[in-house]
Amino acid sequence: MKRYHWVPGVAAVMAMAFVSLTQTKTVQAAATLDNTAPPTIVRVAIRENNPSGEPDPRGRIVWVQTVPFDEYCKDVLPNEWIPSWKPDALKAGAMAVKMFAWYHHLHPITMDGFTYDVDNTVNFQTFRYLSNQPECDAAYNAVKNLAYVDNNGAIIELNYRAGTPNDPNWQYRNAQKMAQWGSEYWAEKGRTYEQILQFYYLNRLLRGY
Amino acid sequence: MSTKIHWTLRTGLTLASILITSMALSVPSARADSVGWFSHPDKKSPTIADGAIPVAAPVSIPPQETPSAPPKEQAAKRIPLRVKVIDGRTQKPLAGAEVVLIETGQRLTTDSQGLTGEFNAPVIRNPKYFPLVAELHGQLGLIAYKNGYRDSVHLGVRINDGVPANTTIWMYKIGPLDRRIEPVLYQVPYHRLWLIELTQRFRSKTQPGEGPQRP
Repeated sequence: MKRYHWVPGVAAVMAMAFVSLTQTKTVQAAATLDNTAPPTIVRVAIRENNPSGEPDPRGRIVWVQTVPFDEYCKDVLPNEWIPSWKPDALKAGAMAVKMFAWYHHLHPITMDGFTYDVDNTVNFQTFRYLSNQPECDAAYNAVKNLAYVDNNGAIIELNYRAGTPNDPNWQYRNAQKMAQWGSEYWAEKGRTYEQILQFYYLNRLLRGY
Repeated sequence: MSTKIHWTLRTGLTLASILITSMALSVPSARADSVGWFSHPDKKSPTIADGAIPVAAPVSIPPQETPSAPPKEQAAKRIPLRVKVIDGRTQKPLAGAEVVLIETGQRLTTDSQGLTGEFNAPVIRNPKYFPLVAELHGQLGLIAYKNGYRDSVHLGVRINDGVPANTTIWMYKIGPLDRRIEPVLYQVPYHRLWLIELTQRFRSKTQPGEGPQRP
């Protein structure tokens, strides 16, 4: 009897192998520029201020506002970039704002009974309804039919942070995030928005759609 | 010994007073003229020849190193500002609303699309912040009036150098349930980039809070 102690172990291993072989794996294709349509709307979770009327970054979600995609981007850009910055800094910013929103539109969140793409705070991007500004609108319109994607066309989140004024912000390039102050720094040096994007985000492509 | 010291002090004081008086008489207004910010440009400084009483020249205080307003503002820049007024509940444009730019008193009325003409808006930054962290944008205040609606006050409307600006004012209709009718205030928040600069300016090493921003 003692000689057959190994049988249950072998049986278990075989069973596991069988299960792993027969299990169907769900392989989700990456959302690319070729297999996804550009978003037409963004679902923005509006967070409640605290009882004193002050912003709470994790305040209760009051409702989800459906905003046309272009309008959302135009209402974000002047609250993230400075409208008086150089046009190419604003265009680089417009591209980042757009691709960030696009990525999150493809990866929505369901929380507390609400399904949304982004919220209206710095958790995602600062959004103030009807706050668009002429210079930012022009920058967005200039890149409206372009996308900055991965080499295989995958829609990726273009992340950004404030950075340091009057500095190229190399450390942000290393982290693959655009420094907003860095975008203005390079624009003042005469770089185009494509060059600014290339500086901060490596191995990406600018593609039309 | 004490008599000698007393004589020396008296002589010294006399000589000093003669020297000061002679300087005041010989250079009556040179120092006053040198203080450009003090004298009126069109008014010639009086001289002894004009019969003016010679007085001690004012102490020349150099202008402070830190100007009271950011350099950009000193150019007295103005930008076109267009205001849209909407009904806060229906979000439809409101025609015939009067909008006043508080800083200049300019008053414009909205058209059928709820839009005013262009305000000639100055870029005014709060000077108290300039020596610490210059504001990245100016701020203005607007009041909108329309019969049947609560007055709407918008403060801190962001105005950036050299570029036109838009803003939207939301107004709320007065209904039968409205018992106490007072103005509605909306304070436009500062730009987040400036808030980051401001908090960084005062951050200590002992209590760094969220700490400097990192990528």
